[in-house]
Amino acid sequence: MAFGLAPREATQGNVQRIMYLHVPSVWVAYLAFAVVLVASIAYLARRSEGADRLAHASAEVGVLFTGLTIATGSIWGKPTWGTWWTWDARLTTVSILFVMYLGYLLLRGMIDDRERGARFAAVLGIVAAFNIPLVHFSVYWWRTLHQPPSLMKPGPSTMPGVIVAALLVNFAAFTLLYVYFVTRRARVLRLEAEAEA
Amino acid sequence: MTADNWSFVFAAYGLALVVIVTYWRFLVRRERELSEGDTLRRHGSGMPEPQTEHRSP
Repeated sequence: MAFGLAPREATQGNVQRIMYLHVPSVWVAYLAFAVVLVASIAYLARRSEGADRLAHASAEVGVLFTGLTIATGSIWGKPTWGTWWTWDARLTTVSILFVMYLGYLLLRGMIDDRERGARFAAVLGIVAAFNIPLVHFSVYWWRTLHQPPSLMKPGPSTMPGVIVAALLVNFAAFTLLYVYFVTRRARVLRLEAEAEA
Repeated sequence: MTADNWSFVFAAYGLALVVIVTYWRFLVRRERELSEGDTLRRHGSGMPEPQTEHRSP
């Protein structure tokens, strides 16, 4: 889609094709951390091990795709902005998001008592989710080098239909990849718990 | 005419491919290890194997 259907962008040239990877990656990161939030609330309410495993698996996949978002954004930034990195509001908030969920995974690994670790992680999973709107709206709240969203925003898209179509196909593909990864990771976590028991 | 910078495009897609395939392989390998361990434990403890096939009466 990014190479076949989508046209060459007039201003940036073909390097803009990184968008078809970068934007779906951040979508999956948002989705993953939203699932962590819901699963963490469910865990605290019901103490369900399934909800805890879902939160853990989703956080791991979210960290993976946040890392990919940062890396692809950096690669895209060099030819378009002239720098690999800048302490712009969007880049800084997304880095904080990445570090918070990395901390979430480290916290889970550090506490031996499974129930206690799950409880602490659920609290962190809820607190860290407050950073998601901060990341998304940072481009409106502060002056940034990063452009405002073209698709994930209120109102109709200003992008040409063919670009939106290619992007939506990639959104769907990345969402399916997320579901597949989380399902498999949750299964591995269940097997690990059974092996330890 | 803007420079195309194809090397950056290939670097981004190549990196994504490596990361996704590496994580997928990690999940498959870990699941296989744990499943094999589970089978060995069941053999060792004399527990029955889980039924995977439906037997006709």
